[in-house]
Amino acid sequence: MEYIASLLPFMLEGTAVTLQLFFLTLVMALPLGVVFAVARLSKFKPLNVFMQFYIWVFRGTPLLLQLFFIYFGLGIIGISLDRFLAAVVAFVLNYSAYLAEIYRSGMQSIDRGQFEASDVLGLSRWQTLRHIILPQMFKRVLPPISNEVINLIKDTALVYAIGISELLRAAKIAALRDYLFVPFIVAAVFYLIMTAFIQQFFKWLESRYDYYR
Amino acid sequence: MYILQATNIYKRFQHTDVLKDISLNVEKGEVVAIIGPSGSGKSTFLRCLNRLETIDRGQIEIGGEIMVSNNADGKAVYRGEKDIARIRRKMGMVFQNFNLFPHKSVLENLMMAPLLVNKSDVNEARDTALALLKKVGLANNADSYPFELSGGMQQRVAIARALAMNPAIMCFDEPTSALDPELTGEVLKVMKDLAQERMTMIVVTHEIGFAREVAHRVIFMDDGLIVEQGTASEVLLNPQQDRTKAFLGTVLMAR
Repeated sequence: MEYIASLLPFMLEGTAVTLQLFFLTLVMALPLGVVFAVARLSKFKPLNVFMQFYIWVFRGTPLLLQLFFIYFGLGIIGISLDRFLAAVVAFVLNYSAYLAEIYRSGMQSIDRGQFEASDVLGLSRWQTLRHIILPQMFKRVLPPISNEVINLIKDTALVYAIGISELLRAAKIAALRDYLFVPFIVAAVFYLIMTAFIQQFFKWLESRYDYYR
Repeated sequence: MYILQATNIYKRFQHTDVLKDISLNVEKGEVVAIIGPSGSGKSTFLRCLNRLETIDRGQIEIGGEIMVSNNADGKAVYRGEKDIARIRRKMGMVFQNFNLFPHKSVLENLMMAPLLVNKSDVNEARDTALALLKKVGLANNADSYPFELSGGMQQRVAIARALAMNPAIMCFDEPTSALDPELTGEVLKVMKDLAQERMTMIVVTHEIGFAREVAHRVIFMDDGLIVEQGTASEVLLNPQQDRTKAFLGTVLMAR
């Protein structure tokens, strides 16, 4: 017990890094995904094709590899990003691609009649999107989004590969230093606590959208 | 003076002619019922009038403004988006499936377009909306959500929502076809009231009774053509064309 307590400061520092990366990614990727989804559905061909390509690349390669490209790869061509910034960039680009596809499916599941009713009432394309389509879309995509968000908190562990001291790396350092398995158990508990919070948050969000069917 | 003039409307889907050069002029205050078998093109025709569908050839003029007309090559050319938006605002549309906004309350459904499109004052929009709800018999449902209402009530909200934009013409696309039989009456009553207030109405319908009672003119369409038109008693009681007779025979037999 004393040993666990002695681990905590170090592990909490790692958790802080994990959470920073998590929230920064969400704050940027959640809205960017909407923009990408709208672009992906655009009738303007070049934009549409570019988004398809983008989504293919970022879903079609491992996130870890993307992390290497942005941290080491950009370094080779003379753009050197700080480790943490590189991680944020990679995560935002990757998660926006996944979220864009979720949003797209959500938007396409909205009945044509909603677009037509908006249209005959004189709403502009932007007004239709903003007031009619997106609010209904968010309700429908909450379950798959909560999946992605839970994936994200676990994916943050990947950044230890470029030497960022997040939660898992902190656990590993402690485990190797003390020849004990306990730090890994502590890390697991930490992850579970975070995912429990995420689950509760989405449960609450879904209940907030429960006022209509 | 016609409030709506559609001239030689032609439309093609893939390899079929859906509308074969049909024309329709509607006078202010006139109630026109369009009947015909499914696949006759009647809904498509109505949807062309407010550009939910585009036409390939022909001219549509609403309230003295041309929305689409033929160019020198005989191909339909639409006005710019802004002009079209303004012209379409003269037309209200009621759909078979209501198409209410499920995430908005009844009152919000009615206020949405006046606020966003006309930039109306909130209090003014609310007053108008409440008055319209009263008119369709739903004064007590302003704060309900669409899923809480019966189909007949939802359709009445949809009619009120269209009226909130103060249109010159109301278009109805099979407004009672998605309703249980016992709920059609309340919707038809609201439509009758509108007709009595001299609202110009174009109604695509299967309700022969409504056409007979309310419509000034009945149009029978089949296979992308207007086969026959005239007063309700002419077309419904004394049809001249074989196709009209056959259609009315099957419809009336089914009752």
